Amino acid sequence: MSKLTFSIGGIHPHDNKISCDCKIEALPLPSTVYVSMAQHLGAPAKPIVAAGDAVKVGQVIAEPGGFISAFVHSPVSGVVKAIAPRKDLAGNMVPHIEITVDGDEWAEGIDTTDTLITEIPEDKALILEKIKSCGVVGLGGATFPTHVKLNPAPGKVAECLILNGAECEPFLTSDYRIMVERPKEIVIGAAIMQKVLGCRCVIGIEENKPLAIELIRKAIAELGYANMTVAVLKKRYPQGGEKQLINAVLKREVASGCLPIDAGAVVQNVATSLAVYEAVQKNKPLVTNTMTITGDCLPVEKNHNYLFRIGTPLSFIIEQAGGIPEEAAKLISGGPMMGKAISNIDATTVKGSSSVLYLSEAATKRKAESACIRCGRCSDACPMGLEPFLLNRLHKAADLEGLEQNAVQDCIECGCCLYSCPANIPLLDNIRIAKGQVLGVIRARAAAAKAAAEAAK
Amino acid sequence: MGKSLLVSPSPHLHANVSTTSLMRDVIIALVPASIVSVLFYGWAALLVFALSIVSCVLVEWVITKYLMKKPSTVGDLSAVVTGLLLAMNLPATTPWWIILIGAIVAIGVAKMSFGGLGQNIFNPAITARVFLLISFPSYMTNWTATQGFISRPDAVSGATPLGVIKEAIGSGSTIPEYLAANNLTSVTFLQDMGASLGELSSIALLLGFVYLLVRKVVKAWIPVSIFATVILISGIFSLINPDIYTGPVFNIFTGGMVLGACFMATDYVTSPMSTLGGIIYGVGIGVIVMMIRYFGSYPEGMSFAILIMNCVVPLLNIWFHQKKYGRK
Repeated sequence: MSKLTFSIGGIHPHDNKISCDCKIEALPLPSTVYVSMAQHLGAPAKPIVAAGDAVKVGQVIAEPGGFISAFVHSPVSGVVKAIAPRKDLAGNMVPHIEITVDGDEWAEGIDTTDTLITEIPEDKALILEKIKSCGVVGLGGATFPTHVKLNPAPGKVAECLILNGAECEPFLTSDYRIMVERPKEIVIGAAIMQKVLGCRCVIGIEENKPLAIELIRKAIAELGYANMTVAVLKKRYPQGGEKQLINAVLKREVASGCLPIDAGAVVQNVATSLAVYEAVQKNKPLVTNTMTITGDCLPVEKNHNYLFRIGTPLSFIIEQAGGIPEEAAKLISGGPMMGKAISNIDATTVKGSSSVLYLSEAATKRKAESACIRCGRCSDACPMGLEPFLLNRLHKAADLEGLEQNAVQDCIECGCCLYSCPANIPLLDNIRIAKGQVLGVIRARAAAAKAAAEAAK
Repeated sequence: MGKSLLVSPSPHLHANVSTTSLMRDVIIALVPASIVSVLFYGWAALLVFALSIVSCVLVEWVITKYLMKKPSTVGDLSAVVTGLLLAMNLPATTPWWIILIGAIVAIGVAKMSFGGLGQNIFNPAITARVFLLISFPSYMTNWTATQGFISRPDAVSGATPLGVIKEAIGSGSTIPEYLAANNLTSVTFLQDMGASLGELSSIALLLGFVYLLVRKVVKAWIPVSIFATVILISGIFSLINPDIYTGPVFNIFTGGMVLGACFMATDYVTSPMSTLGGIIYGVGIGVIVMMIRYFGSYPEGMSFAILIMNCVVPLLNIWFHQKKYGRK
């Protein structure tokens, strides 16, 4: 089968998978963890423990704060020291539960062995309940609660579960490592989600990961899953973007303003699939994840893939990995295209943490902006078919109507425009602001329409 | 921790591309054609190139420094490209002061008065060429026959292939009659005639254009739609009456066709952003240039065609957009 890819835009940055051969190592436990209440998309979780309570690993410490929200579990055993606001990665104050670690005693009922459990429960409601109670969220970046995504609104039918193993962001290798080291668990996790959705499954992996493709294929064959295939994708960014992946695999587009399910697709990351396996088969809540320590100014031997406890402070991980390298000018949590710059290394890791990336000044420092030469590289690169040069101009003219007409709200913030701009114009910075304003207008309009409808009754 | 770190929104990487690197690629692409014309026309051509580039850069530097009082933008090399293209539009015998006037019109009027790089509506080099052609027709059509290197051209007043054909047809002759009377075949006819510096070296220009395509500096659709339109129109007309209408090969390889289509019509600033817009722009240039060549009073119309279509670009940019994901 030929290699698949999406049809509009895209770029080809160097993949720099320096840490791809670093086996996953379990990171030691820190002395204190800080568990954020806002580590999923949606409403923050509500703490159900108080200072002084003793907790075990995997014990629920916070409940969902709304329909789109998730349970949070203790990643360590110890004593709750405080529940207080603390700065997150970006410097925003978010409530955290601070736990002093005194050991590694797991809560009852959690299977911590490596035994592979292949038998999948028959009861869909039970599966969904387990996924929900284990606090599983999407680990591909958005951290959307998985049980919500696996339970489509009435009338919407999933035709295909797409498992995202593209890992198209340069540098990152955590998804690759779990695909190589735990292919069977991932594949069983996918089969569990297939059972809930009642559809076929395609696992999309980029061509630069031949070993992962081979091992996942082998795992599917050995487990005898008939309705599951691997699709080899071209190396191209943002192949792992939800809309782009659906386009690559199904040759369909998700209509503007709609969800993947409207195109018959549900996309889940391979790391999420592993978390689903652990939740459903092992009763193990999402308290660990894999992260990559890498960078362009880090010698190969200092690269790592760590299995970390969620809530471990970044500073502890950085220290364990040998400190910040001399040449590092920017620290990034996540990939170099969509990750967030770390302004505060005392911030804590969350469910969705995927890396600490060190970039040198030469690689990452923004260059001075010059005049737009209308070369059109930004529109060629935009995977949503937008015209970033035009959106930038409209933003400067504060033309919200024009921005909406030209679909600024469809921007997925992948960064291809700014990456491609020869004049170093901060296109995405401006488009983000404009997108926020236009979404505000759209929401206000919807609210006004709703109020008018109510009043007419 | 004493060390301060950079913090900025994503993306944190940038493609290794800049305005300067793109302009440098265009300059590299023009090198083969420049060498060919210097070899054919000798030192005089080299002088025209040097003078044109230096004047364009100098005019831009003076304007940014003394009129706009802004940091100089000559480092982006766009003035060098304009100078190079302007030189390619001039005969080797052009006096120095005409070149200087050309540079002032190209950079001062067509580019900087609109706000500099990226703001101009008309292609600077073509604006200057048309200005000079209308203002100083005798100097601008003082074509010398090919001389070879080191021989100083002695200003034999010749005419371009397009010019002589137009004259011959105008005096009631036909194309085959003209070629027979002057003991020429269609091949030697093309080789022997004088032309602007850039026109003769179509092959060298196409070679440079392939380099730009490979480096992904420009896209092919504008030149391809120009060439296709020219071939179609000249094919139909020359089939109907080969005695007075020149054919596709002649029309592609004479005049400013290749230079204009590959290097002037593809100018980022003055061409449409969308693919469909670019195709319409290219077809428009093709139609206008053939209408001028067949029915106009000027023998060549490439510059006029590009300038006219430059006016349409803002409209094409409003009417045509790229296909958006998830939208009709």
